[in-house]
Amino acid sequence: MDEILGGVRVGTDLVPVDQVAESVAQFGDRYVGRIYTEHEVSCCRGTPSVVAAGLAARFAAKEATVKVLRPVGHQPDWRSIEVRRDPAGWCSLSLSGEAARMADEQGISDLAVSLTHEGGMAAAVVVAICGGDGR
Amino acid sequence: MEAMEEEIRQILAQQGRLPVDIADLDNDADLYEAGMTSHASVSVMLALEDTFDFEFPESMLRKSTFESVTAIRAALTSLVGAPAE
Repeated sequence: MDEILGGVRVGTDLVPVDQVAESVAQFGDRYVGRIYTEHEVSCCRGTPSVVAAGLAARFAAKEATVKVLRPVGHQPDWRSIEVRRDPAGWCSLSLSGEAARMADEQGISDLAVSLTHEGGMAAAVVVAICGGDGR
Repeated sequence: MEAMEEEIRQILAQQGRLPVDIADLDNDADLYEAGMTSHASVSVMLALEDTFDFEFPESMLRKSTFESVTAIRAALTSLVGAPAE
């Protein structure tokens, strides 16, 4: 039977803020440029600790998204998963390139993200709505 | 131990944030199962590029490239040539 079932996937990730701060300090723009989009970097301004917390939350969102995309073998470019911040303050996800193709192939019709950081840790939860078979 | 393998193990010890001593892991041990996170693997990748003076192509940015000492060594060999003995 070719029944098509929808479904929900959830991904989450936790990143220590100090590890991101150390990567920024050690690798600088090369680290930032390989992982984060210009929009994401523009949203993370302030003291080094504030910047690191914002970047860490975004890295957690990217990894949480990878968990719902469930790639086999090839990993999508980190920058093809972008956290967009609305002027009102809430965030959403925008996929491009390989990440968008994976989501399309798996029938993921919608994504939602929530970010947080506290006590030296940053976390993100991503929920994906699958319009296809909901694997 | 050959020079390339020694460099890889030093980088994993410095950047891999493994909860175990890298010296206790054999070359085929799964580094993710041993506790290496995705973020740590990014630092490993950048440190490898610094040490061996090259850049990983996008096609090699997959989890399996960094899953073991053997896998990293194979990737480096394909990109920068066979190690000196």
